[in-house]
Amino acid sequence: MHNGSGADALVIDDLHVTVNDMPILKGIDLHVPKGEVHALMGPNGSGKSTLANTLMGHPAFEVTSGSVTFKGQNLLELETDERARLGVFMAFQYPSEITGVRVSNFLRMALNAQREDEISAMEFRRLMMEKMRLLRMDPKFAGRYLNEGFSGGEKKRNEILQMAVLQPELAILDETDSGLDIDALRIVADGVNTLRGAEMATLVITHYQRLLNYIVPDVVHVLIDGRIARTGDKELALELDEMGYEAITAAQEA
Amino acid sequence: MAIDARAPGLTRQSVDDLADAQQEPDWLRARRRAAWDVYEATPNPERTDEEWRRTDLRWLQWESLTPAAPLDGVAGVPATVPTAALDPSVTLVMSAAGAHVVDVSPEARSAGVVALDLAEAAQTRPELVRDNLSTTAVAPEQGKFQALNAALWQGGALVHVPRGAALAQPILVVASGDAALRQPHLLASLGEGAQASIVEWWADTGAGSPVLVNGATELFAASGAHLTYAHVQALALDARSVLSQRAVVSRDATLASTNVTVGGRFHKARVEATLVEPGANAVLNGAFRLGSRQFVDHHTTQDHLATDGTSDLLFAGVLDGRARSVYAGTIVVDPAAQRTNAYQNNRNLLLSSGTRADSIPRLEIMADDVRCTHGATTSTLEPSHLYYLCSRGLTHAQARELIVEGYFEAVLDRVPHEGVRDVLREALTGPAAGNDGATGI
Repeated sequence: MHNGSGADALVIDDLHVTVNDMPILKGIDLHVPKGEVHALMGPNGSGKSTLANTLMGHPAFEVTSGSVTFKGQNLLELETDERARLGVFMAFQYPSEITGVRVSNFLRMALNAQREDEISAMEFRRLMMEKMRLLRMDPKFAGRYLNEGFSGGEKKRNEILQMAVLQPELAILDETDSGLDIDALRIVADGVNTLRGAEMATLVITHYQRLLNYIVPDVVHVLIDGRIARTGDKELALELDEMGYEAITAAQEA
Repeated sequence: MAIDARAPGLTRQSVDDLADAQQEPDWLRARRRAAWDVYEATPNPERTDEEWRRTDLRWLQWESLTPAAPLDGVAGVPATVPTAALDPSVTLVMSAAGAHVVDVSPEARSAGVVALDLAEAAQTRPELVRDNLSTTAVAPEQGKFQALNAALWQGGALVHVPRGAALAQPILVVASGDAALRQPHLLASLGEGAQASIVEWWADTGAGSPVLVNGATELFAASGAHLTYAHVQALALDARSVLSQRAVVSRDATLASTNVTVGGRFHKARVEATLVEPGANAVLNGAFRLGSRQFVDHHTTQDHLATDGTSDLLFAGVLDGRARSVYAGTIVVDPAAQRTNAYQNNRNLLLSSGTRADSIPRLEIMADDVRCTHGATTSTLEPSHLYYLCSRGLTHAQARELIVEGYFEAVLDRVPHEGVRDVLREALTGPAAGNDGATGI
């Protein structure tokens, strides 16, 4: 499965991360080539969100050893915004509400941050409207303040809208399914599936198998207590759904 | 002219010299003299006065203030004023040489808008000046600075929008000039049912900085009038200023005022509205953005004298560097002002640990059937917000600026005139806003 050995892949090697001196990730090895969707599953507290935020550069997470490279670059040396401009994107589990900042203004600024030349107002509007249609979002959404007063589903759709506009090369979806009803889940999954392609590596982090019915992964990893306990194909997710995480924990301890 | 700029200090003679030079009518001279007497009788503000407890005036040497010499010719509109963006119907410049009308649009002309030098108006349109000048809005008895302005204002302006007239484009009144002591005075009135926007801009002239700008603004909205007013203090960063501003709002009239402060090293403002007749409505907005060692003190008063009035105040500040702000707001409800609905809110965003914002709310409620509430919040930048914005590729500086801009939107949303709102936003967030740590991107 580590066949996509292109230099552009996300390569995580023996990654150890602590939060407030407490070890959370205890040696993660992961290889996500472009064009593939990997699912990272695991029980609460196993370190899923820690991994996502470490990849994005959250200052609270301290890497004590190991390496992360993407597109041949050492990600750990880069600030959060530099990672974003390199093509890393994380859909947040809990996106911030930022008053007074309109969705469209913010998105245009974000898009311009990673472009050489500024996008024209007309072109940007066309692009945003196209992506909003894809996600079945009301055009009025563009004028609202960023996540302020948004429902859970609206927040998640707004995350995927940003992903659709910014077209990252590495997308990390941190529990994007949490708090979504089935309709919202379908819309979000459709959006992700449309964006899937040879140019994007995707890491889908989830507690539940349900999302993986809609975003079918190439590879499934199971994270338990800061380590990858098992790796398999999409069948592994179904197995987990039936047997629960305890079965893997028990098998490990046996 | 008769004023001798070399004369040390301000004297009773300064008052007469000014009245002579401007050929003022006797009633105005008498009014200035009376104000001078009040000025002389009023002790200098001290830290022991509640209003001045947090505000240091030691920089001000009263005895070394000298009257402004009139300029040769007239002052133009400084390049720092966004005249083109505002597209005003009338443009007026106040300076020691008098108020000079730069431009009047056909719209303003046909609406019968009056825009005059205040001393000239005292001669030619006394009916628009005599009742309102330094009487019920900003009176000498209100304090030392108010008395000084009433005695020695120079280069004042009168703006009047007649009954029933509606003006789409704003009236721009610029305070300019290069005198060490500048005492602008704007007297503006809207007749019954009139609708207009007035923007008063205290400009950075690029010339030598004033020792003191001591300005007064008196606003009158007659029955059913709709007045949108904005004051922008964008003086040079080493200027010091005091503003006394009061609006008198009549029956069923609406005032929406916004005070924006970005300039100066010291700014003390009284922002007051008196709701004198039933059904009056006042929206009082304030936004200030400070950096380095800038200091701003706002004292606001929502003065309810009649029934069924509403007042809604929101003052928001963003402080960086070692800036300090004082906000003290009072809601006064007279025993006669039943069914008053008043709200007051002050919020501050502190961008650096060297800043400080004091917020003091006060209620003086003497009627029983009222709704009065107030709130104050002081917050710092939320690291999670910065992280979120940076995760989309914005630099730390861009993310910070975006949060600051967003912070002011709550105030700007309350400005009813779109063109005015846009220039106020630009004043708060454009490259000129803030300084040192608060530099725009």
